[in-house]
Parts: sequence; structure tokens; C-alpha cells
Amino acid sequence: MQAKKSAQTVQSDPIGLHFDGHHIQASRGASLLEAWMAAGLPLTENVGCLGQGVCGACRVLVSRPGTRLATTALACTTLAEDGMQVAFIDHFPARRLHPYDLHTMTDSWQAIRQINTAFPEAQHCRHCGGCDRACPKGVEVQRMVNLACAGQATAAGALFEQCVLCNLCVAACPEHIDPAHLGQFVRRMNAALTLRPSDLIMRIHEIEEGLQPIQLDAEGANPPLVKEIVS
Amino acid sequence: MNLPIPELLARYHPDHQAGAMETLLVGVSAGERCPAALAELLQADSLLEDVDIAGAPALDADVLIIGGGGAGCVAALTAARAGARVLLATKLRIGDSNTVMAEGGIQAAVGAEDSLQRHFEDTLRTGHFAADKALVAALVCEGPAAIRWLIQEGMSFDLAKGSPHMGGTLLRKTPGGATAARLLSYKDFTGLELMRTLREAVLLQPGIKVLDRHPALELLADDRGRCAGAVLHDLGRGRPILARASATLLATGGAGRLHLGGFPTSNHYGAMADGLIMAYRLGAKLREMDSFQYHPTGIAWPQHMEGTLVSEAARSAGAYLVNGQGDRFVDELQPRDVVASAVLRELAEGRGVERDGKLGIFLDTPTLERCHPGILKDSLVTLSHLAQRCGIDPAREPLLIRPTLHYQNGGVAIDEAGHTSVPGLLCAGEMTGGLHGRNRMMGNALLELVVFGRRAGAAAAAQARVGLPCNIGLSHLANWRRGLIAHSLSLEKKAPLLFPSYGNFDATNCLRGTTQ
Ligand SMILES: Cc1cc2nc3c(=O)[nH]c(=O)nc-3n(C[C@H](O)[C@H](O)[C@H](O)COP(=O)(O)OP(=O)(O)OC[C@H]3O[C@@H](n4cnc5c(N)ncnc54)[C@H](O)[C@@H]3O)c2cc1C
Ligand code: SF4
Ligand code: SF4
Ligand code: FES
Repeated sequence: MQAKKSAQTVQSDPIGLHFDGHHIQASRGASLLEAWMAAGLPLTENVGCLGQGVCGACRVLVSRPGTRLATTALACTTLAEDGMQVAFIDHFPARRLHPYDLHTMTDSWQAIRQINTAFPEAQHCRHCGGCDRACPKGVEVQRMVNLACAGQATAAGALFEQCVLCNLCVAACPEHIDPAHLGQFVRRMNAALTLRPSDLIMRIHEIEEGLQPIQLDAEGANPPLVKEIVS
Repeated sequence: MNLPIPELLARYHPDHQAGAMETLLVGVSAGERCPAALAELLQADSLLEDVDIAGAPALDADVLIIGGGGAGCVAALTAARAGARVLLATKLRIGDSNTVMAEGGIQAAVGAEDSLQRHFEDTLRTGHFAADKALVAALVCEGPAAIRWLIQEGMSFDLAKGSPHMGGTLLRKTPGGATAARLLSYKDFTGLELMRTLREAVLLQPGIKVLDRHPALELLADDRGRCAGAVLHDLGRGRPILARASATLLATGGAGRLHLGGFPTSNHYGAMADGLIMAYRLGAKLREMDSFQYHPTGIAWPQHMEGTLVSEAARSAGAYLVNGQGDRFVDELQPRDVVASAVLRELAEGRGVERDGKLGIFLDTPTLERCHPGILKDSLVTLSHLAQRCGIDPAREPLLIRPTLHYQNGGVAIDEAGHTSVPGLLCAGEMTGGLHGRNRMMGNALLELVVFGRRAGAAAAAQARVGLPCNIGLSHLANWRRGLIAHSLSLEKKAPLLFPSYGNFDATNCLRGTTQ
């Protein structure tokens, strides 16, 4: 079964690679996840959006021939190359030793203290850059950690805009800082404590005062009288 | 070439093709039509027999939530905060879903010139007046409150240019079919911003136990037909678990990965209609199951990007659709079903473009760039990234696109609180029907999952007070199998499938240890 499947996908110009202990062949232009599937291997984890690169589920370690260092990547947005060595990185939830409750944070004067209470390890950052190297999205993780510690919540949060919560920086950090979750914490805190759009607030007030009633039978809520005949 | 719209849809829309739809023979919605591939799954047998669950370990909860996308997470947060002990089981990881992939935005009528009534009428009209008015009214009335709730959970929204965080106004765009600018967004990754906020909130919320990689295979019922939980499959250990609950809430999302009509899809890997199949088998009514949304611009080539969505932003910005003869053939800003049908007509009549065996038409980004120098770099950033991953420079070369299966317009029928026709069973999100009629407006799906996730979560927590059902099992299957036999339907076909066939996973054998 496996042999048959991979035979089907091999084109005139096949690529050979090692993937999680399997030697597989892939066609040129296939992503690593597609190569895995085309080889007949079961895909029941390490996958989500399958190509958009937004869910952070398909983490792999990749090393290319001639290079000594392995790099992290997302398997759905990385093309298979001849001679690659690839391994899935299993799912690891961040350990949450210091949970926080956004809803109890009402005093923004205490924001810096709250960052330090929820993520005390952040101050131990060694500036080793492990997180930056791990991030497949090019997020400036280390800088965010340092800005967050200095209480610069908006600037810190902005750096984490592209984060897909793959947790690779969490795995990379020797100080157990959970950078990805610190990043989400400052982002969430920024929005929850400071975003107050006036148009939204006005509309909510109108609704509460009964000034936005819905008329179920208004003319526009019913089909036009002359109906088109659709086959 | 210039067909009237009804005829264009009738001739080229995938829902209207000969043989596309089949009539259901068994179950509470017998007589209704749905896509043939889905009918086969809806009328299949269970993966389980009684012996499969004998001796299976059990977990008890007040509320069992199945599906860890947007709707499931919103419901879990709401139920847990109402005091319920919540079990959240999901097929992949929490967050791996259609929700995280949404780009465009979320609707809510907040503009001074806009009103709830307008949002209400726009939604009904776009859905060809097939939607349930009470559901739509609930949706639009709670829109602004849903946005406030999201901000309180820590989600960011774009503000109008130069607006301050405090007291500014929200950036609003106009979704297709709307009479006012109403689409709120966060950059062009609104779903990612929403989902990562919810994921953090759920992981930190006391009272919620998350089970990643635990797809549901079948619902459990008590001896009176009340839903009593579900049989989950622990993918890591390859064994079943009985999750028993006073109220069960399905939020398993859409069906794109069934590749209806052979189409590629924009959906995530797990969008396999599992919840729909399980709910139907237990007696939940369906509606508008014959209506699906095909987005006109999915990537057609290269292969590794096939089906990926090219957002409407490109066409809104003025990009043309051009066929193999170099001609425009449709007003690009017509509703999605019209544009998709027009593209399919070009392909069917031989005016497509072929590349490595993949057929499509062009999205003319080079001309767009020539007319508006800098637009690709400045405003269509995601499109530029996408093109880069296709290995092309969009300023020089157009993208090859074709319609992609995008959204399930119908689904399980619910009331305003998310109850289905089966006691103890609630549903929320894309798997439900009634809100969009026969065509969904952009931005209403994200709103739906917040509004109805909250409503269903609250209703499920309230039901939990009824207490845990007794005499729980798979007794409903006996009846179901009698129905299949009575209609000469095969008991060999099993569902749900959990993963698409190219995932090399055989759900039928997963419990018997032959796979994995
Ligand atoms: C590419 C793309 C772009 C979109 N853009 C927009 C937009 O701009 N605006 C908008 O309003 N809408 C948009 N949509 C639609 C919208 O994102 C979805 O309709 C919505 O997010 C669905 O939410 P949900 O919670 O119902 O389902 P999902 O978010 O898909 O979640 C379903 C969950 O159920 C899980 N699941 C499935 N089967 C099982 C099982 N058997 N057991 C346990 N768990 C299971 C899945 O793994 C997943 O976690 C878009 C959709 C896509 C695909
Ligand atoms: S910041 Fe961390 S979690 Fe986010 S994408 Fe980068 S490595 Fe992944
Ligand atoms: S990996 Fe950890 S310690 Fe090293 S730079 Fe990043 S946050 Fe600091
Ligand atoms: S599958 Fe989602 S990032 Fe790769």
C-alpha cells in the first residue's frame, strides 16, 4: 500500500528526504506536509490550516545537506528539498505556573507589576537569542520580553502581531519564560485595558435604551413582491 | 457570454449541477436534499458497536463541548463562568480550526449611519430570504455586545486612521451585499487575533478541562433519547473514552475537507462534517443542507497552495479577473456565488489557463500594480506574501485562481439559545443552519460564533442543573440501523471519517488497533 502510493507520486525528477525516521520520495513543489501524506504516512496531528501558515501546528526541525545547524520551520509552508532531514516537533503546552485573570485587572497603574507577577521569569532573560532563532515567523521575541519587563506594553505587544502560537520560542527558552504567552498577555492587556471605541460604546448605549428596535416585518426583511423565476 | 444571473447560477454553480444533490432517505430530515458525498456520510453507519465502549474509562462533566475552534472556545468560557464543569474535546489541538484562518473581518452595526435593522435586512437579503428571522435578529442585536466581549477578552481591532485607543472609532469596511460599512477587522488576520485571544482565555480559565487530539466518534444517549455525552477517541493512546455530561454542545465547524464536487478547499484539515453526522444520527433536524459557498478566488497553482484563499481585498482594490484569452468576463465585485459561477463557466468553455495540469484563470495583479503603483506592497500585504509562497512576483505575474469550497451555509437547525431538536444537545458555529439562509455575508460567520457560542454556552450551563442522565449508551444506533436496512442502505459505510482520505488514517479501524 505504502509502496504503491509513493510510486504514484514520484515524477521523473523525484526528491528524496528523511522524515521522522522514514525515507520518502516527493515530487518537486510539494510542501513537507504534502510529501508526508503522499508517502502514505498517517497525518492525525501536527496539522491544522494545511498551508496558510497561521495555526502553528506543523512544527518541524529541518536540516539541509551541507549545513550543520538544524532550523525550525512550519511544514505546510516549507517545500521539500532533496536530501533534507526533517522531524516533527511534538505538541507541548506551555506550563502556566503563574496564571492571571484579565478580568481582575482594573488598575492600569499596576500594569508593570502585573506583568512581573504573572511572568516573573521574564526578568531573568539571558539575551541568548534562542527564542528569536526558533521563531518561524521572524518575531523579535527577545526584544518583546525585554520591552514587556520595562513596562512598555504597547511596543511589546506590537512585536507579537504575527505570532501563531506555535510555542517554539517557549521550548527554546532556557529560563522558562513562556515568551509566546507573555506576548499574548501584553497584547490582551493592552486591548482589554485601553481599547474603548466611542462608536461601539454609543451603539451599545442605544441598544440598552431601546433605541435600536428590530422590525421583523419591515419591507426590506421580506422578499420583493415580484419574484424572479429561477429554474 | 452575458447570461442572466439566475441562468448563470443554474448552469454553473456547483450546487446546481446534475447529480450534485441527493435526497436523504433516512433520519428526521428525510426528503431534503444535500450534496451526494455528504448524503453518503449522513446515511452511514456508526463506527462503534456496544462492545467497543464496554469497559472504556469515563469522564464526567456538566457540559461537554466538542470542537476547539471559535464557537467551542466561546461556549466553554461562557459555560465555565456560569459555574459549569466543562470538558472541551477537540480533534487536533485547541485553536486548529477554520476560525484561526479567517482574514476579512467580523460584522457589527456600530456606525452612526448604520443600524441593527440594516444589518438584519442585509443579512436576510444576501441569504435570499431563507434565513430564520429570529436567529438573524439575535445575531445582529448582540453584534455590538459581542465586540465589547471580545475586547474584554483582549482582542484588538483596527481603528480608523488617526483614532486614539480611548474614544476613537473603529475602522469599518463594507462587506459584499451590505448597505453600510460594517466589517470590523484586525489587519488581514482577524481570525488569528480572535483565536489566539480565545485560546489563551480558555487555557487560563478554571473549570475547563481541555482534551486535545480527542475527536468525538459518536454521541451517547440515555434510554429516552436525550443526548448524554459522547464517545471520544483518544488518538494518542488509540482507545475510546466515554465523556458523560448533562448537556452536550457540538461546535465542530464545516465540511470543506469533503471536497464536495471535487473542489479544492480553503478549510482547515479537520473540517469533515463530523458533528453534523453525529447530530443527525441522534435525530437533530437539518436545514439548507444543499447550499454551500464557493469562494471565487482560491489558488489553482502551484499544487502545494491549491485551495488557499486569496481574499476579496484584491478584487475590492480593483484587480481584474482575466481568462486565457486575456478578457475580463464578469464584474468582479458581484456576490461570491455569481463570480464563482462565472469563473467556472470560463473553465468549462475552454477559456481557462493550464499550468502543470492545474486549470484556472488569472487574477490580474500586474495591471493593478501598474494602475496603482505601490498598492501590492502597501495595502495587499497578505496577497504579496501568498504570491511569494507561490514563487511569483505579483507585480509581474498574475496569480492562477479557481473557486474553492469555502463555507457550509446550512446545518443543524437550532433555536435562539442553540438548542437542537434533540434534548440535551446544543450546537453553535458553522455547523448550524438558519442564520445565513442560502448565502452567507462576509463577516457574519465570526459574529455567529461569538453570539451563538455565548448563547449556547449559557443554555448548556443552565441545562446542567438537570443532572447527569442515567442508562447511557448507544441504544439509538439500533433504531438507526433498522432505518438504514429498511431503505436498503449499506451498513458497510461508516462515518464520521475524521480526516480526509489523503491523511492515510482509517477511522473504521482506529478502535481495533489496525491503524496507528
Ligand atoms: C480561509 C477562511 C477565511 C474565512 N474568513 C472569514 C471572515 O473573514 N469572516 C467571517 O466571518 N468568516 C470567515 N470564515 C468563516 C469562519 O472562519 C468560520 O465559519 C468559523 O470560524 C467557524 O467557526 P466554528 O467554531 O464553528 O468552527 P471551527 O473554527 O472550524 O472549529 C471547529 C473545531 O471542531 C473540531 N472538530 C471537528 N470535528 C471534530 C470531532 N469529531 N471531534 C472533536 N472536535 C472536532 C475542529 O478540529 C475544530 O477545532 C473564513 C473561513 C475560512 C476557512
Ligand atoms: S513568537 Fe513564539 S509562539 Fe509565536 S510564532 Fe514565534 S516561536 Fe511561535
Ligand atoms: S530564549 Fe528566553 S532567555 Fe533566551 S533571549 Fe529568549 S526569552 Fe531571553
Ligand atoms: S498547518 Fe497550520 S501552520 Fe502549518
